[in-house]
Amino acid sequence: MLSVQDLHLSFGGIKALQGVSFTARRGQITAIIGPNGAGKTSLFNAISGFYRPDRGKVVFDGQDIFALRPDRRAALGIARTFQNIALFRGMSVLDNIKLGAHTRLGAGVFDALRYFGRAQAEELALRADIEARIIDFLEIDHIRKAPISALPYGLQKRVELGRALAMQPRLLMLDEPVAGMNREETEDMARFILDVQEEFDITILLVEHDMHLVMDICSHVVVLNFGQQIAEGTPDQVRRDPAVIEAYLGAAA
Amino acid sequence: MITGNLKSSYATDEQVLNNRWKRLFLWLCIAGLGLIAAFGNNYIILIACQMGIMLIAVTGVNVVIGYTGLMSLGHAAFLAIGAYAVVIFHNAAGAIIPESLLTLAAIPFAVLVSAIAGVIVGLPSLRVKGLYLAVATLSANFIVLFLIEESFSAPWTGGVNGINTPTPNLLGWEMDTRREQFVLIATLAVLGLLAAQNLFRTRVGRAFIAIRDRDYSAEILGISLYRYKLISFAISAAYCGLAGALFAYFYARILPEQFELHLSLMLVAAIIVGGMGRTMGPVFGVIIIVMVPELIKVVFGALAGGGAELAMIRAPIQEIAFGALIVGFLLFEPFGITQIVDRGLRALNRWPFARG
Amino acid sequence: MGQLLQYGINGLMAGAIYALIAVGIVSVFKATRVVNFAHGYLIMFGAYFYFTFAVLVPQAAWAPEWLQSWRPDWMIEMREGLPMFSPLAAVLDWLANGPRILLGLAGALICNALLGLLIERTLMRPLMGQSVFAMIMLTVGLISILSGSAQLIWTSDAEFVPALAPNTPIRFELFGQMIFLFGADLANMVIALVIFAAIVAMVRYTKSGVAIRATAEDQSTAYSMGISVPKVFSRAWVLASTTGAIAGAILATRNGISPALGLFGFSVLAIVLMGGLDSYLGVFLAAMIVGVLEALAQWQLGGEWAEIVPYVAVLLVILIRPHGLFGTREIERI
Ligand SMILES: Nc1ncnc2c1ncn2[C@@H]1O[C@H](COP(=O)(O)OP(=O)(O)O)[C@@H](O)[C@H]1O
Ligand SMILES: [Mg+2]
Repeated sequence: MLSVQDLHLSFGGIKALQGVSFTARRGQITAIIGPNGAGKTSLFNAISGFYRPDRGKVVFDGQDIFALRPDRRAALGIARTFQNIALFRGMSVLDNIKLGAHTRLGAGVFDALRYFGRAQAEELALRADIEARIIDFLEIDHIRKAPISALPYGLQKRVELGRALAMQPRLLMLDEPVAGMNREETEDMARFILDVQEEFDITILLVEHDMHLVMDICSHVVVLNFGQQIAEGTPDQVRRDPAVIEAYLGAAA
Repeated sequence: MITGNLKSSYATDEQVLNNRWKRLFLWLCIAGLGLIAAFGNNYIILIACQMGIMLIAVTGVNVVIGYTGLMSLGHAAFLAIGAYAVVIFHNAAGAIIPESLLTLAAIPFAVLVSAIAGVIVGLPSLRVKGLYLAVATLSANFIVLFLIEESFSAPWTGGVNGINTPTPNLLGWEMDTRREQFVLIATLAVLGLLAAQNLFRTRVGRAFIAIRDRDYSAEILGISLYRYKLISFAISAAYCGLAGALFAYFYARILPEQFELHLSLMLVAAIIVGGMGRTMGPVFGVIIIVMVPELIKVVFGALAGGGAELAMIRAPIQEIAFGALIVGFLLFEPFGITQIVDRGLRALNRWPFARG
Repeated sequence: MGQLLQYGINGLMAGAIYALIAVGIVSVFKATRVVNFAHGYLIMFGAYFYFTFAVLVPQAAWAPEWLQSWRPDWMIEMREGLPMFSPLAAVLDWLANGPRILLGLAGALICNALLGLLIERTLMRPLMGQSVFAMIMLTVGLISILSGSAQLIWTSDAEFVPALAPNTPIRFELFGQMIFLFGADLANMVIALVIFAAIVAMVRYTKSGVAIRATAEDQSTAYSMGISVPKVFSRAWVLASTTGAIAGAILATRNGISPALGLFGFSVLAIVLMGGLDSYLGVFLAAMIVGVLEALAQWQLGGEWAEIVPYVAVLLVILIRPHGLFGTREIERI
C-alpha cells in the first residue's frame, strides 16, 4: 500500500531522517514509535509532502509520489491528523468535517456563485453522508454547530479524525492521537481507530507513545531513534529487540 | 442560546436565510432600494449609486482579503481595468455590434479582462504571503496606472487627460439618467452580494476560508493552494472589474487619477470598518466610508456657507477622518460593525431573560 | 559612455538616500515585525519640520536677524568681488545659512522623534501581540491621518529650503570622462551613508542593538530574558523617525516640499522587500540598484518610467526569490 524506501531528510545540521524504509500493508495498522525528536512527525511530513526529503522514495499504491505536492497526495487518498491539532478553529465542527470532503466534491466556481442546482444538490448529499457516516459514528452530534475553539482537547482530536475520515481516504496517518488524553478518552479513541480499520477498510499509520495502545491494536511496528530506523517487526518482536530496549532505557536513564 | 430555530431537515438547516427575520430583512432592503429608485431625489440617487459601485468592489475585496486572507493593497487597479475595458470596447466594437447589445457585451468583457488581470497580479501570492503580497499588489496598482497613462496607450485610454465614457444601453433601453443607472447598479450589487454569500456555502468558499485559517491544513485536505489563491484573486478582480465598468458608465469621463492608491485603501478600509470575512461587512463598511466624508461636507457647508477659508481645510479633514476610521476600528472594534450588530441582535434575542 | 557614468553616479547618490529611508523601515520591522507603510509620511513630516525651523521660524518677526542670515563683517568682506560659481562663495553662502540649517535639523530631529514616540505609544503599543495584519493596516490608516494633518498644519506654500551643504558645482574626471555634480548632492550621499553605517554598527555591536536583534528573533523569549520589549519598540520608532527627519530634510532640498513626498515611502517599501526586509546589506544593495536603474530609465525613457522602476523591480525579484535578495527564509514547522 505505502512503501517508504531509504528516506533521508535534514534541516541544516540536524539529520531528522537517515535511511528509513518500511512498508505499511493494506488494511492493517502500522505503528511508528520512538523517543521524542526521533523524527516521527518529520516522517509523516515527508509522506504527506510538506518536507522534501534529500533522498529516497515514497511509493503509494504502486505510484511514486515523491514529486507531488501535498494536495495532490491528498487527492490520491492520503489523509492525516496532526500532533498539535490543526483544525480550523474559527469554523464549526460541521464545516471542518465538510472541508475534509473537498476532493470528493465537484462544484466549480460558477456552480458555487449560483448555488441552486449542482452545488446545492451536492451540499445536501454531503450533509446527509457526513451525518450518517461520521457524526453518528464518532458520537459528536451534540456539538456539530459548535466552534472548534469552544471544544475540549479530546473532542477536538475526535473532530480531526472525523475530518480525515470525510476524505474517505485509503491511507490514514494519525500523529499521536491519544497524547494528553485520560484513560477513558484513550479507550474511546482506540475503539474508534479499530472501528475505522474494520468498517472502512483503511490502511492506518500511527505515531504513538502509549505502548499499551500500540501493542494492543497494531500489527506491525517501526522503531525510530535519532532519525535512524533501529527495528521493525511485530509488536512482540519489537518488544524483545535489544536495540529498542537500549534506546528506550537509554533515553529514560 | 438559540431560540426559535426548530428544524426538521438538513435542507432547512443548510439555508442561509434560516429564520423569518433574515428573510424579512432581505425583502425590506430590496423594497428600500425600490423606494429610492422611485422617489429618491438627485442627491440620494447620486450617493446610492456611488455606494452601489463601491459595494460591488468591496464585496470582491472581501473575498480575497476577508475570506482568503491574502492581503491586497492594489485592487483599484482592477476597477481601472474594468472601466477602461468598457470604454475601449465601446470605441472599438461600436461599429460592429449594434448599439442595443453593446453594453451586454461590454460588461462581461470588462469582467473577464479584470479577472485575467487578477490572475496575473495574483501570481506572487503563490510564492509569498502577507506583507510581500501587499507590496506586490500595491506595485501592480502603480504599474497598471502607469500603463494606462503612458503615451503608447493614450490613443485608447486618453492618457493622463482621461477619456469620455459611453451611455449604457440595455436592449434598446438607453440609460441616460442617473435614476435609470441606479436600477442597473442596485440590481447588480444585490446579485453580487448574494452570489458572494453563495460561494461560502460550497466547497469553493470553504476552501478559501481554510487557506486563510491554516494553509498547510487546507493543503492536506487536497485543496490546491495555487489554484484556489488564483481563483480567489480572479473572483475579487472580476467583482472590481464589474464595479469599474459601472463606474465608467456612471461618470461622463474617467481619469487615471481616480484609480490611485487612495481608492485601493478605501476598499480595504471599508471591509475593516464593516467586518472582514462577513457577508454584511461590505454593506456596513461602504455606508460608513461613503457617508462620513459626505457628512463632513454637509457640516462644512452649513458652517461656512461657501467661505473659502473653511473649504480649504475640508479636504484634509476628510482625509484625517478616513484614516481615523481605519485606526479607530482596528483599535477598538477589530471585527467591525458586523460585530456590533451581532452583539445587538444577540442581546435582542435573549431579552428580557438576560442582557449583553 | 560618459553619459552612462554620469547617470550611474547620479543614481548612486539617489540610492544612498533610499537606503537612509529604508533603514527606518527595516529597523522598525526588525524590532516589531511591523512594516510601516506610513514611513514615507513620517519623512514628509520631517521635511515640513525642517522647513518650519529653517525657514518659517527665522522669518518670524521675533527671530534675531542672524538666524535668518548670518553675515559677520569678515564674511561680507570675503564675499565681495568673488566671481559667480566660485566654490568659496558657495561655502560662504552656506555658512550664512548655517544657523538656520542647524536649527532646522535640530527641530526636525526633535519633533519627528516626538511624533514617532507618539505613534508608537498611542497606536502601535495597544496592538502589541495582535495580528500582523492589524498592525500593518494601522500604519495604512496612519497614512491618511498624517497626510491630512500636514495639509492642515502647513497651509502656506512651501518655499525654498537651504541645502545641508555648500551647493558648489563639482567637476572631475573619471576614467577619462568628465563628471559633473553638485556639492550638496555629494554631501547628502555622504550623510546618508554615514548614518546608514552607524545604525548597522549600532544594531550589530551595542547593547541596545543586541536587544533589538533578540526581540526580532523571538519576542516572548526576549521578554523573559529581561529585555524590555516595549522600550525596544519605542527605540526602534525613534530611530526610524529621526533618520526619517534627516531624509526628509534632504528630500526637501532636492525635491521641494509637498504631501507627495510621502510617496517615496512606497518606492522604498518596494526596495526594502526587494532587498529582503531584515537584511541591512540586501536593502542597501537594492537601494543602490534601484537608484541606478531609475537614473538610467530617466535618461533613456523619461521621468515617468523612472517612477515605476522600483515597483517592477520588486515584482521581478519577488517572483524569482520570494524573500528578496538577502532575506531569511523561514521554514514553517508543522
Ligand atoms: N521545520 C524544522 N526545522 C528544523 N528542524 C526540524 C523541523 N522539523 C523537525 N525538526 C527537527 O527534526 C528532529 C525530529 O523532529 P520530529 O520529527 O518532530 O520528532 P518526533 O515527532 O519524533 O518527536 C528534531 O530534532 C526537530 O528539532
Ligand atoms: Mg512528533
